[in-house]
Amino acid sequence: MHLIETRDLTHIYHGGVRALESVNFIAERKSRIAVIGPNGAGKSTLFKHFNGILKPTSGEVLVRGEPITKENLREVRKFVGIVFQNPDDQIFSPTVEQDVAFGPTNLGLDETTVAHRVEEALHLLGIEELRDRVPHHLSGGEKKRVAIAGILAMEPQVLVLDEPTAGLDPQGVSDLVEFINRLPNEYGMTVVFSTHHLDLVAEMADFVYVMDKGSVVGSGTVEEIFARSELLARTRLNIPPIPKLIRSLQENGIPIEMAYTYEDAKKSFLEAYARRV
Amino acid sequence: MIDDLYAIEKHAGRISPIHQLDARIKLLITLAAIVAIVAVPYSTRIYELGTVFFALFAGLWVVSRLSPVVYLQRLAIILPFGIFLVIFQVFIKNPYYDAFHTIATLPFGIEVYAESVEFASILLVKFIVSVSFIILLSSTTKMQDMIEAAGRLGLPREFTLTLGMMVRYIFVFAEMFGRIRTAMETRCFDPLDRTLPYRYRLHQIGYTVGTIFIRSYEQGERTYTSMLCRGYGANASLYIRRKPLGAGEIVFFVGVLAFIVLSTVLIYMQP
Repeated sequence: MHLIETRDLTHIYHGGVRALESVNFIAERKSRIAVIGPNGAGKSTLFKHFNGILKPTSGEVLVRGEPITKENLREVRKFVGIVFQNPDDQIFSPTVEQDVAFGPTNLGLDETTVAHRVEEALHLLGIEELRDRVPHHLSGGEKKRVAIAGILAMEPQVLVLDEPTAGLDPQGVSDLVEFINRLPNEYGMTVVFSTHHLDLVAEMADFVYVMDKGSVVGSGTVEEIFARSELLARTRLNIPPIPKLIRSLQENGIPIEMAYTYEDAKKSFLEAYARRV
Repeated sequence: MIDDLYAIEKHAGRISPIHQLDARIKLLITLAAIVAIVAVPYSTRIYELGTVFFALFAGLWVVSRLSPVVYLQRLAIILPFGIFLVIFQVFIKNPYYDAFHTIATLPFGIEVYAESVEFASILLVKFIVSVSFIILLSSTTKMQDMIEAAGRLGLPREFTLTLGMMVRYIFVFAEMFGRIRTAMETRCFDPLDRTLPYRYRLHQIGYTVGTIFIRSYEQGERTYTSMLCRGYGANASLYIRRKPLGAGEIVFFVGVLAFIVLSTVLIYMQP
């Protein structure tokens, strides 16, 4: 049984815009999944199907093997938490603490449990000191963390992040990457995210779905996807500098092992250099 | 309900001779029909004029190739506003008649008069005809075209620019509201959920309204700054391209206008 599965999911918006076309998507337990694709590919629309915000025009969405119904909607939304691209859409309570407590309160938990969940979430994101701050005085990075804390306080098993790095400074991006990478191992969570930053995909994902014009046009491990440069070019995405450089070196006859992350690349370069000397 | 906003121009975007007609002509014909039916003094002749105008409207609606269901749906939304006033009339005496004959007596001394019923039905005819032409206009003309037409007809630029921005920002606002609502649903908030305390739900709705106000204000500031950056000032106006009317359009306009004026005058003048 998969945590999330879509079968031939098709979604047509009002006015006949076909946003999704026969999408088959699977999310397993403790996996890190990237969904990449150009603007308008249907990534956000797909995400809104994972917790029943949108209903399929045709096809199915199964969460823990069960279709989303009116009866299990609350359970599904507790199970799948979505962090939206713009944190301003998500934060509407007067203080950070109240906003993080919003989800758990809606689940009908008692006051002590809500307080405990808020505490945990603020601690996890390292934003305890923001507790009493007003949302519109926070920086972009702080708002992003508050938005994530608001979802984590509901203790979802699947965390879905729509463009999580949009609008963050470089340090904010690396903090976020580090934080997200901890979730599967330490908390057994599954992370699904969309991004245009392909260099982050290698750092943050085990499996990649490539979307274009509402369809999944490719899927596989990071290595498999990055090996298909024609697919990435077709979907207006670029291979990140590290694998691109290593491929050029290989094509020029330099024996060096392919790598996708900074750490792996460092190792490959050092090994290649050591072999020469 | 807010999702329906995106479908508001679904019918206006179709293709038919009426849809393609210049919006100025549609606007003027609508105004002419309303002015004509409202200007004819209260008398039973309004029934005849109303029938003639309704036939004209029905003919134009057929040419517009829209389903009668669209008309009936839109009429059903507007009708309650007029019906309330019309029904209210049957119970009161009005200055158009000298003598009143009671046709029914209700409890609490309320009486229904024959003359007032006649007056109310004349009012209903005027209302239905006016509203029908407005429905025809709004179902076959996009909002932007309507503003441009008003501008070409001489509506001051202060109005056209403001109206143009209002139309644009209704949709921005709807989108903002939609995103906030989605974010609330994601965290399982339902304002009608009885398991949550009443006060809590009320508070959260208050916060949402407050947030929308703050964000609208901020959006307004950002938009205004960007307008200033592009030279907005007292002389700014909405760019409206010149658009000459086709010969066919002029003939159609003159014909329909003549029909409205002649039928009004002839029915009014008949002995």
